[in-house]
Amino acid sequence: MWKRQELYHHPYVRVTCKARVPSRQYIPPTISFIALRGRDVIGTPVVQLSSGLAPRGPFHASGELHPTSSSLFQVSTSWMLPLHASAAPKSKMNRHAYSNGHTGAYPLGGRGSFSIQPHKFQPRSQPALRRRRQLLIRLALVGSLLFAGVLLFFPSLRAAALPALSLGLFAGHEELQLETVRYYDLSNVQGTARGWEREERILLCAPLRDAAPHLPMFFSHLRNLTYPHHLIDLAFLIGDSKDNTLTLLSDLLAELQVDEQPGMAFGEISVLEKDFGQKVNQDVESRHGFAAQASRRKSMAQARNWLLSAALRPTHSWVYWRDVDVETAPFTILEDLMRHNKDVIVPNVWRPLPDWLGGEQPYDLNSWQESETALALADTLDEDAVIVEGYAEYATWRPHLAYLRDPYGDPDMEMEIDGVGGVSILAKAKVFRSGVHFPAFSFEKHAETEGFGKMAKRMKFSVVGLPHYTIWHLYEPSVDDIRHMEEMENERKAREAEEKAKQERLEKIQSQFDDTQGQWEKDRSDIESIKKKAQEEEEAVAEAKRQATAQQIAEKQAQDEAAYKAQKAQQVAGGKPVVGKQAAAGAAAGAGAAAAADAKVHDESGSKPRVEAKDGKGHIIDADDIPVVGGGRKTPKEDTL
Amino acid sequence: MAVARSLRRTNPITIALAGLLAVGFLIFIFSSPSTAPINVPGARQLLKSKEAASHALSPPSLPFLKSNLKAGEEAPPPPVVHYHMNNVTTTADPIANRESILILTPLARFYQEYWDNLLALTYPHELISLGFIVPKGREGNAATAQLQERIKKTQAGTNKKRFASITILRQDEEPPLQSQAESERHAMSAQKERRAAMSRARNALLFTTLGPTTSWVLWLDSDIIETPPSLIQDLASYDKPIIVPNCFQRYYNKDKEAMDVRPYDFNSWIDSPTAQNLAAKMGPDDILLEGYAEIATYRSLMAYMADPRGDPKQIVSLDGVGGTALLVKADVHRDGAMFPAFPFYHLIETEGFAKMGKRLGWGSWGLPNYFVYHYNE
Repeated sequence: MWKRQELYHHPYVRVTCKARVPSRQYIPPTISFIALRGRDVIGTPVVQLSSGLAPRGPFHASGELHPTSSSLFQVSTSWMLPLHASAAPKSKMNRHAYSNGHTGAYPLGGRGSFSIQPHKFQPRSQPALRRRRQLLIRLALVGSLLFAGVLLFFPSLRAAALPALSLGLFAGHEELQLETVRYYDLSNVQGTARGWEREERILLCAPLRDAAPHLPMFFSHLRNLTYPHHLIDLAFLIGDSKDNTLTLLSDLLAELQVDEQPGMAFGEISVLEKDFGQKVNQDVESRHGFAAQASRRKSMAQARNWLLSAALRPTHSWVYWRDVDVETAPFTILEDLMRHNKDVIVPNVWRPLPDWLGGEQPYDLNSWQESETALALADTLDEDAVIVEGYAEYATWRPHLAYLRDPYGDPDMEMEIDGVGGVSILAKAKVFRSGVHFPAFSFEKHAETEGFGKMAKRMKFSVVGLPHYTIWHLYEPSVDDIRHMEEMENERKAREAEEKAKQERLEKIQSQFDDTQGQWEKDRSDIESIKKKAQEEEEAVAEAKRQATAQQIAEKQAQDEAAYKAQKAQQVAGGKPVVGKQAAAGAAAGAGAAAAADAKVHDESGSKPRVEAKDGKGHIIDADDIPVVGGGRKTPKEDTL
Repeated sequence: MAVARSLRRTNPITIALAGLLAVGFLIFIFSSPSTAPINVPGARQLLKSKEAASHALSPPSLPFLKSNLKAGEEAPPPPVVHYHMNNVTTTADPIANRESILILTPLARFYQEYWDNLLALTYPHELISLGFIVPKGREGNAATAQLQERIKKTQAGTNKKRFASITILRQDEEPPLQSQAESERHAMSAQKERRAAMSRARNALLFTTLGPTTSWVLWLDSDIIETPPSLIQDLASYDKPIIVPNCFQRYYNKDKEAMDVRPYDFNSWIDSPTAQNLAAKMGPDDILLEGYAEIATYRSLMAYMADPRGDPKQIVSLDGVGGTALLVKADVHRDGAMFPAFPFYHLIETEGFAKMGKRLGWGSWGLPNYFVYHYNE
């Protein structure tokens, strides 16, 4: 039904068609312009038949199009009804018929392609797109498979490809979404006494190394801080850690940031991973040994400087350095320190101790005032020497902040100091901006935080300590302490064992005493039975005597009759009872003495353990009361971290 | 063309829609986790050199994604960002290793030639961050306005050669001298104070813009108007911790009646016993300055070692450096080497910096036959 007519390619077209009506056709033709390419072709042009229709007669039609420059369209003429073929007018109808005045623009003049032959039904000629549909579908399938494959195997391309596909319409190019210019006025970040009201940002720095055991405690401190959390930026430097500090820290931080409690999330969080290859171990003994101090302090200083230089931003008004092993600190510590409005300020740092070491102890001895002795000492040392405080090797006679603490003193009292300890330092960011840092070399014979204090002083910043405002460092037993605690433990065990042994002995003795008691009872019963026997015997004797007396009487009576014979018999019988009486009395006395002697033996063996038991108990009580060792023990000198 | 009948009968639009849907599914399936959770709270990220940060709270040496939050919408908390500083290298071939550089300029006055020279640097601009510190006051305002105007053009999103990021700081303190005229500026009595203030400005700029991903720091004064375009690569190729080219000045030589060059920066020198003796006799707060007739130090100045026909690759070890153009490994600054604003071994600012670098174990080097040119007032 459709006959391909002509392809025009022109920005603005006025088309006039001229054709002949087929012989048997009486119905007006439909003339249409179909755009093949380009969007702006006006749908159906107004087609006017400029002449009447007559069979086999010529007619004219015209229409206006507004295609874009790249439009390609075709003009078609169609009749509604099937017509028989008629080849006759073909040659004549193959005239192109158009004109818009731009003759030169048409490359198809004289090609004679205008032809209208609607003589029969014809299958619509397929445009290229339709004809090659299967091919295109296959190509598209292969293409999308390839695309998916590429995305699968090169994940780096996804970031580039996906926004273009999904959000391309809305998000625009990523480059346009990037902000590259920042402008800051440093006079807005000077730091004031009431920073939380002026929304001053604080950078909280914590250098970490093998600190995993302390992290949960540290994070509980972070959560408790009353300074607005969104104004606190956290920065951690993890170096040379051999335990799981990094993963633990990362997990805790992520947890902190998603906490449902409003206002819990902190500001910028940077975790810097840098190994310096330090040789010094981080355990208490090797940390605090004098020989290791200088190099250890220098590498600590290096870590602090790396952390600060990478994390300090132009938005920070304050910088707070905090060790992770602080056990107790006021929640308001940031505000408390800030209120003083000093350039550098540190609290007093103590640590709790077990009772046998005196209960508490100054911990951070690096906060001190300079002394003449120390200055004189510094002059005698060579360029690279580092004076470390708290070691007998350098007697500096400096007044230490730590020793000036009065538990009932005014916590707001300030003291000018020259060296500062690193457990908890609040400093204005402008101190660091002006170049003060933790010298990793010997600066005026000091390094790290002490050198920091010295340098801040050198640049005329105020450095202040609060002697009566105390935070408590975690008590980590030193090797000596551990040894001592082991000794104490052993002692305790020994004492317990001794006590147990004594208990056993006591019990044994007790049981033995019970035995002798039985024996005594037995003996007594024996004696009693003997006594009874003796009595019985006596009675028997008496009976016998009585009988004898009776016999005597009888005999007397009998002998009364015979006077001589009876007199003689009475003499014999009178001696006999005397002998019997004596024997009975002697037997009774013997038994009583034996019993008394026995009882005495019992008494001795029974009273002695009782005395011993009393002694033993007294000894135990004494052991509890009297300090065994260490009560007057010299407290170990320590420095921070 | 044996295509299933059902497929042939299906409307192509249906197939197109199905294809679109399929692509959508594919995107959903393959969308990598690294890009997806950018704004998810508590997300962990690893930022490498010259990647864009996802939050405005980020190192100024990196660009960041603008937040497209609607009014009243609350921004999610910033992510936990990790930086592998072990992987930040400083090598002789910085381009191949994609090492980022921070160009720092204390901007007293804005010179168009300076800006043009900066734009002409051949080092990949996406690896360059710029930092400026502008003094307070009228001159500073003018310089800032000019700078921002140029930046607007340079940093347009469509510019392929724009810099990774630019930070402008306004100084917090007034410059000690109201006038910056050359003769006055170099008056010896004013030098100490001026250079102390300069040191503080340099340190403030350095420590707030130095990011965890920066490999190199190039100090370039705002009046350096001509350098070789390959300045950064050339200086870095020596792989020295601190390296300084020779700073000269072009001027009209009336005797020769032609343009000529003369030495400008005298702060790069090799120490002399005379200078050390002088320093030993000085009080702790005195400084030893170079380039003044009042104090003859007899130091070997790099400015006078220049030989126009000499080998440009010649390198000398120095004890003091000038700051007009100075390439420093970021590690040197991170270790703590800064510009002392107080007499440090009787030295101040860049000279003190070289000394502090030495104390930290980083040597300084100079290129006597490699030139940069100073503006002539």
